[in-house]
Amino acid sequence: MTTLIFTHKACLSHDPGANHPESPARLQAVLDALKSPAFAQCKWHEAPRAVPAQLALVHPGDYAERILAAVPASNGYALDPDTVLSPGSGEAALRAAGALVAAVDAVMAGDGDNAFCAVRPPGHHAEPNRPMGFCVFNNAAIGALHARRNHGLERVAVVDFDVHHGNGTQAMFARDPSLFYASTHQFPYYPGTGAADETGVGNLVNVPLAPFSGSAEFRAAMTDTILPALSAFDPGFIIISAGFDAHQNDPLAQLGLTEADYGWVTAELLQVANQTCAGRVVSTLEGGYDLGALAASVGAHVSALMAFPQA
Amino acid sequence: MAKKPPGIAIPKDIAALSFEDALAELDKIVGELESGKVKLNEAIGAYERGAKLKSHCEAKLAEAKAKVEKIVPSADGTVGAESMD
Repeated sequence: MTTLIFTHKACLSHDPGANHPESPARLQAVLDALKSPAFAQCKWHEAPRAVPAQLALVHPGDYAERILAAVPASNGYALDPDTVLSPGSGEAALRAAGALVAAVDAVMAGDGDNAFCAVRPPGHHAEPNRPMGFCVFNNAAIGALHARRNHGLERVAVVDFDVHHGNGTQAMFARDPSLFYASTHQFPYYPGTGAADETGVGNLVNVPLAPFSGSAEFRAAMTDTILPALSAFDPGFIIISAGFDAHQNDPLAQLGLTEADYGWVTAELLQVANQTCAGRVVSTLEGGYDLGALAASVGAHVSALMAFPQA
Repeated sequence: MAKKPPGIAIPKDIAALSFEDALAELDKIVGELESGKVKLNEAIGAYERGAKLKSHCEAKLAEAKAKVEKIVPSADGTVGAESMD
């Protein structure tokens, strides 16, 4: 298996401020982990900038233009109380979204079997018309819509194991039966959405987890509910919103996963991908705020992407 | 391995609240968490304050229950409460 890694140094220059948990140090920890010899087989690519038509796949009107116009020349500009732009944020956000587009193209072209996008800012809280929760552009949803539009795929799925519900991705997918969104997340919790009865047009699968749930509850949610629904949807491509903040050491939430759980879920998702879409998977970094847990979890995730044998 | 709930040390401002006031604040926090009004960055703090309010409410209820259980009929048929001391 060849796993591609898409990243860009500009993603280190988005700085929401001192003491903000979504710090450049997160991505640096991820990059440092992926530069260890265990990942020497991965092929690295520089993420291009997303172009306006790609952003407009999920953010209508002048959304992207307004965001980019709000990027300050110095200091910070708060889009919402959680989401702050710095002078480097526009370039970072364009590269983060562009990584998904390029990764989808590369996997479709057979340049690699699957890909991981080591990017920030994250994306899954960004709604069609509203940046929020550290997120500016919805990178995963842009990748999914690009896969459908540019590669003629009929059905595309996003699976999200970040500890927070991906309200943005859900809002973009909820009325479109050719898109599928499944999420495990702490509930009730930020951002408030993600109850089990939020099912869209039968294309949303939300499995809320009570605070202090751990590996057993997470694996049961995947095995009993999400993986069978994903198989039944029969996707042509799978995007993973890979947040690692359900780790037991994460300071922003209260679930109890370990890096072994992230390796496990990655292998399980690849198995469905092999059965439905020739293993075509692109994963992108969402949350994860304990630097050590984040580095170890990304390591387990990317190891599983590299290890899984082609069907 | 599940993450363990932290020990519930009740801060003084919560300890001073009546059952009704603590429940009202807990209701407000749950409502805010459910409606997404809490910042991502502050959700864990809101959750933890909610857990402490819940613990305080439970202690107040247990106290009241203990008082009710101490109410015993006396030999002359009247009902009185034993001292909690």
